[in-house]
Formats: sequence, C-alpha cells, structure tokens
Amino acid sequence: MALLIEIKVPDVGNVADIDVVDVLVKPGDEVKLEQTLAVLETDKASMDLPSSAAGTVQELFIKPGDKVSEGTLIATVLASAEADSAEQPEQPAVEASAPVEKAPEPVSEPVAVKPEPVAAKPEPISETPAGNISDHAAHATPAVRLYARELGVEIHKITAGSGRKGRILKDDVKNFVKKVMAEGVAQSGSGIPAMPTVDFSQFGEIEEQKLNKIKRLTGQNLSRVWLNLPMVTYHEEADITEMEAFRNALNAEKSKDDIKITGLIFIIKALVAALEQFPQFNASLSADGEKLILKKYFNIGIAVDTPNGLVVPVLRNVNRKGINELSAELAETSNRARLGKLMPAEMQGGCITISSLGGIGGTAFTPIVNAPEVAILGVTRAKMQPVWNGNEFVPRLMLPLDLTYDHRVIDGVEGARFMAAIKQYLGDIRRLLL
Amino acid sequence: MEANPAINESTIHAKVLVLGGGPGGYTAAFRAADLGKQVVLVERYPVLGGVCLNVGCIPSKALLHVAQIIHEVDEFEQHGLNYGKPSFDIDKIRAWKESVTKTLVGGLAQLVKQRKITLIQGTGQFTSPNTLEVQTENGIKTVSFDQAIIAAGSQATKIPVFPNDDPRLWDSTNALELKEIPKKLLIVGGGIIGLEMATVYHAFGSEISVVELMEQIIPGCDNDLVTPLFRRIKKQYKNIWLETRVTSIEKQDDGLKVSFEGKSAPGAAVFDAVLVAVGRKPNGKLIGAELAGVNVDDLGFIAVDKQQRTNVPHIFAIGDIAGNPMLAHKASHEGKVAAEVASGLKAGFDALTIPAVAYTDPEVTWMGLTENQAKQQGIEYDKAAFPWAASGRSLSLGRKEGLTKILCEKGTGRILGAGMVGPNAGELIAEAVLALEMGADAEDIGLTVHPHPMLSETFAFAAEMITGSITDLYIKK
Repeated sequence: MALLIEIKVPDVGNVADIDVVDVLVKPGDEVKLEQTLAVLETDKASMDLPSSAAGTVQELFIKPGDKVSEGTLIATVLASAEADSAEQPEQPAVEASAPVEKAPEPVSEPVAVKPEPVAAKPEPISETPAGNISDHAAHATPAVRLYARELGVEIHKITAGSGRKGRILKDDVKNFVKKVMAEGVAQSGSGIPAMPTVDFSQFGEIEEQKLNKIKRLTGQNLSRVWLNLPMVTYHEEADITEMEAFRNALNAEKSKDDIKITGLIFIIKALVAALEQFPQFNASLSADGEKLILKKYFNIGIAVDTPNGLVVPVLRNVNRKGINELSAELAETSNRARLGKLMPAEMQGGCITISSLGGIGGTAFTPIVNAPEVAILGVTRAKMQPVWNGNEFVPRLMLPLDLTYDHRVIDGVEGARFMAAIKQYLGDIRRLLL
Repeated sequence: MEANPAINESTIHAKVLVLGGGPGGYTAAFRAADLGKQVVLVERYPVLGGVCLNVGCIPSKALLHVAQIIHEVDEFEQHGLNYGKPSFDIDKIRAWKESVTKTLVGGLAQLVKQRKITLIQGTGQFTSPNTLEVQTENGIKTVSFDQAIIAAGSQATKIPVFPNDDPRLWDSTNALELKEIPKKLLIVGGGIIGLEMATVYHAFGSEISVVELMEQIIPGCDNDLVTPLFRRIKKQYKNIWLETRVTSIEKQDDGLKVSFEGKSAPGAAVFDAVLVAVGRKPNGKLIGAELAGVNVDDLGFIAVDKQQRTNVPHIFAIGDIAGNPMLAHKASHEGKVAAEVASGLKAGFDALTIPAVAYTDPEVTWMGLTENQAKQQGIEYDKAAFPWAASGRSLSLGRKEGLTKILCEKGTGRILGAGMVGPNAGELIAEAVLALEMGADAEDIGLTVHPHPMLSETFAFAAEMITGSITDLYIKK
C-alpha cells in the first residue's frame, strides 16, 4: 500500500528551536527505516534524525540553518509496504513554548508518524514587512509599540512577531527582553568588564577555529554557574582495595562478550546511597533562592567526553537498578553520546553529576557544579599507596574524590559527612546492602 | 475667570507649568494633574480652548452645519422638496454658534476645577529656564516651575503689505465672527481654512472668488481626491484662480481693490471683503523662549524629540508651536505625551499618521501616505479607488461624486494610505487610521463586515478592489 507519511521531529524533551545542521537526503531518494535524514543540533547535543518510514522521499521541508522543534514537518515519504508497521498514533502535542526547564517527559519512541493523505505545509514563516515607510515598518499595534517603549525595546529589532501575519505581540516584546537578558548575563558576566580583544597574529601564526554549538553553550552555562554559585570543593580518598578485588572477581566470571563492570558503577551506587542518606544533596535551589526543591528520584548524570564536546547523559532511577543493568546502560549511553546520537531528553533531569578523569590520571581537581544541581563528584585515578593501619604501612588502593557543592545549600560539615559516607560505602561495599 | 486665591501671591510654584490653554495645553494640564502633578495653567484669553474651540474648529463646524442644511434643501428642490427661499437671521445664527462654544468652554472650566489646576489668565513670558512671568489684569505674577510644557500655539499669517487695519480685510477669526454677509468675498488661499469659509459664506449668499498660488486647491492632497470638490465649487463660485497671486490690496470706499498676477490672473477687481487664509505661523518668538534657553527656529517653531522635549530637557513643546501639521488632534496627543514624560512615564509620540480633514462640501480627507508622496519617495504601491456612484448610500443622499481611495504596499497588501472625498467623508477616515496603526492589510479590511448601506462600506469595497474580491463593481481582469 502506497501511503504518504509525514516525518516530523519527534519528542526531543521540550527543546524548541533546534538547529538543522545538515540534510542528508533529497526528494526522490529511497530511505530505509531509521536511516538518518538530517542532523540536528541543540544546546546540548547533536543528533541524527531517523526516518520513521521506509520509502521514497517526496518532499523536503527543511534545509540547513532552519530551526525546528517537536512536530515540525521534516519530509513526506511515500511509504513502501513494510513501512506501515512503523505507524504509531501521533504523539500528544507539546506546546513549543513550554519552558525548557520543565521536568522531562519519560523518553518516548522517536517515532511520530501521522498517516495523512495530504501533506501539510510547514509552519508559516512570518514575512517581514518590506518597511519602506520609514520608521513605521514594524508590524505592531500602538499599544504594543508603547509597551516596547516602556521596556526600552527598539521594536524594529524584533524582526518577526508571532501574531497573525507576523504581527509583533506583547509576548514577543517580553520574549525579546528575556532573550537579551539571558545573552547579556552569559556574555558580560553580570556586569564584569568584558575580556579585551587581542590580535594574536602580531605574535606569530594563528588559526581561527569556530567553537561548535555545544562548546559555546557549555561555556555560557559554565560561566553562569561560576558567577552565580558560591562553590566549595572538598577532597577525600576512599580505600577501594576490597571493592577492586570484588570487581575483578566479578569480571573474571564474565565471558568475553559480556560487558565488564567498571569502577564507576560502584561509585554511582555509593553516591546514590549517600544521596538517600543526605536528601539535601538531591535538591535544587529555586531560582529566587527562597526554596529548596527536594527530589524523590535518583538520576545520576555522567560527564562524557565526546568529539563534539562535553555531554552529560543521565542514568535514571539508579537506586532501582543493579550493577549489571547499570553497566550495560552506561556502556550503551556513553557509546551513543560519542556517536552524537543522544536525544536532548536523555540529558535532562539529573540530580547530581559524576565527572571522572580516572581513565587518564590526576590526583585532584575542582569540578564545577552542573547547576541547578547542588553538587558534583569528581574522580581521578586510583593509586596504590602506603597506608598506616596503626601498626604498619600497608599497600592500599586509594581513590581520590573531589566534591564541589553549592555552599548556599550545603554547609561545610554536611559536605564532609556526605563525602565520609561515600568513602565508607566504597571502602566496604557490603554496606550498600544495608 | 474667577480669582484663584493661590495667585494673590505674586510668586507661585508649579511642578508642571503649562503655557497655553488650547486643546494641546489643556490636555497636557489635565493629564499631568491626573498623574498626580501640581499644575499651573497659563492662558492668555479669559476662556480656555484656544483657537480650536473659540475661533477655529468648533465655531466653523457650527456654521458649516448651517451651510450644509441650506445646500441640501437647495439641492432637493429639483427632487420635489421646496421650502421656498431661505431667510437668515444672522444674529440668531451667530448666537447659536456662540452658545455651542460657550457650552464647551464652560465644560473645560469645570474640568479645570475638578482637577484642582491653578489657572492664571495672562500673557506668559519666560524669564529664565525655571521662571515665567505672567502679565495679568492685576499686575505681574511670577511662576517658578520644575517642568514646563509650551503649548502657545499659532496665529493666522498676515501679509505685511496688505492693509491689515481695514475691517474688510479678514483673517479666519474675523470670518467666523459672522458680522455681515459680504456681497463679493475674495478668499486668498485655497487651502482647508479658506475653502471651509468659502463654503459657509457661499451658503449665506456671498459671491465667492478664490485665489490660490499653487496649481490645485488644498495643495498637498492628492489631485483625484480634490477634483470632485473642485468640480462642484467651480460651478458654485464666481471664480477660482489657480497659480495666481495677489500683488496688492488697496482700500477704496466701495471696497478693497485687489490686483493679481499669475497664470490665470484677472484684472484688478473690487471686493466687499477679503479673507486672507494663507496659513498660520507658530508663536515661538512671542514667549521669551531665549531666556529659558529654548531654541526657536526662524519660522517660530520649537524643535522637539519623540518625548516632546525641547533642547532644554525639563521644557516640552507641543501642538502648533512644535511643528506641522497644525491640527488640534495632533496637539492633544502630543500634550498627553509631554504630560506623561514629565510625570516619569516612558511615553513617546509614535503615531504613524495624523489625519487631515477639509469640512468642505464634499468633505475631503486623507491619512498616511499620499500618492504624491509615494511618487516623490519612489515607493511602489497598489491603488484602488471606489466610486461613490456605486454606493447606494451616497446616491440616496443625492450625491455621486465621492471617491474612496486606498494605497497598499505591493506584495503584502498592508495599508499605506487612504483618502476619501464625498459628503461626510471626514467621518470615514478614522477607520483607515486605525487600520494603518494596527498594521492591517487590504484583506483584513475586506474581511471586516461593514454595515450596509453606509458610506463606510466604501472603505471595505476599495480594499476588496485591492484583493480582487469586489462584487459591487465589475472589474475586467
């Protein structure tokens, strides 16, 4: 049965305005189910947009540089017979204007096919009035123009309104102000002087490399956190000699193809146990700083280095998962992160983050909290060290840990106790059973 | 005006001083008072309302209404309605006109009282950036002020070489006094004011001649909007001389002898009265602005920014004195802006257009971009003109010369300008102004249901001509 299927942007976790980086097919191309049609890039990750149908591409509605969000029509595909199985009821619509910070929906299948015989047009793009009547080109009513004046917005800078025929509405003025304020903070750092521009070519040969979107946005976010959070980093060492012995024993039981258990999994479990014990670490401060929001779920973010930059996929409900299950999930997620295939929703909703440099080395570092989380655990390479047991020095495998926390939420003593708990769990993982 | 105890002191202070009580000035004073400011309003005349209320818009409209009744009755004679020849009791008509003005002026005085505004009658002159001296009947009062709003208006332009002391040489104020109906009246200046007065005196039986320097009456208005009016008055009036100027006016016992030169200049002729309506000049040079540090240009205008501020930040200027067009509705809006800015609000004069209306018969009105301007500025536009000959409402008024024109941006159809000519056309322009301010396009206007049969329908019909959806006309594709 030949059926014209619309391919739309699937639920990507309440992220609007996703950049289209590349379009890999053209009308007339044969596509397979799950074949990548386009590459999208959000603030946090780039991802491949899979085809939810197999068949022939009839019409394409996006091009590189476009912005899309959930539900945006990407292409129509004249489906071949086997594609019918891919049909699913349409995803419930999520308002494009919903704030990004909203709690993430459970990850849904990235398939949203609505069989409809007639291809709908993409969202109308607001026409900018040609503007040949001098200052009066802005398509806004007198009341909106006054409102813009009151807020100090030059209305001509709002290029397209969201109203009918591109009319600028009060909300457009508000959103413009919000956007400008958000940019202002990230760029100028709360009024601190901007960095001077230096012409480095005067000192020798240089090459300019444009930062990719993830790097740029990560940078903005880190600066924002750096300026907004009073952070303290506390260092500790955990004795993981027994834990390593147990881990090695477990891995020895596994066959070649099984996923090996890494030390990180135990650290994750120890961290969750400590979180259950100290609920103020599983919390966020409300934006106005008036309330602490305690979370009853246990999602752990793992910082993963990828060719495109740092991403933080989130392992969900870690308290309810076993060591093997977590190992498999972590391996799979990290792999997809490196391939740039994470959905934005998979990077939302973390409670606390682990940043592990253990594979590389180091003795200590001061990670930056992944706000609005209130703490981050840094891990560097474990080292065999002589430890005084009261009678003599004994060789023990010591793991350096670094806990950075938001001092507005966590007191120094609480930080030390939290770290002591983690140390205890890692030192004797039988305690995780308690 | 009654004595206000506050002004018995020779010096008083104003948070906001408003100089001039015309439509701009009193609006500014009222708005500032409503925003919590203590306001002193200085007005030269014993009554508020300025030119508009006393010797302009309102009395002229009262007389024009009389003229309209006369014309309508006249014209329906041919359709079987005959009252016989009208007779005028000019004193009674004048008294009625004055009663209209009085009612409005009385209302204003009431509004001043209710708002607890201090009103000083006298001629104000700035003496420093923070003081104004007022010459009152009881001597000089000094008003010190934190902020001031200059709303001192304009006056009819006099031509110095004319015998301005002769009572037969009128300006618009004299013409509105309605002292007598001259047999032969010459109107110098074929603009809005001159033609409105021509309408009045023609109805009362004067033989009207109009002399205009430019090549059309109501210069600045698009020719197609003026033409129906021109055709009608060309038949009604004795003469309309275009591209012609008056070179001299001599007093004679039997009248004023006027000499002309120009394209269609006649020989010298004698008139019983001559109305000079060649424009108005702002009063910027009469208020001691230089002592306040306020810049006034050669013509007497005071330049202002969008907040109506002069070069002296705490002194504002509004209305005629702040620039063309010299229209009451511009002044009152500017007055509000000045009062709001003076009260700390972030206001600005941001209107896209100031509509113009000639209360002639037929009325002529326009707003936004004119075709003349579009051509000068090289702006491309789509145009439609709906003839009132196809409007049942117009035909039932016994008139068919009217026209409703609309100019739209090419491509988007967004309205750029509009104009109408026809009986009561002035009432139609407000919708076009709203459409422009709201950024409406021809489609929006055409899709808006207009009641039938109304003259206002013609605006929607013109819009439908732009979108191609008109059914009340047949337009060959």
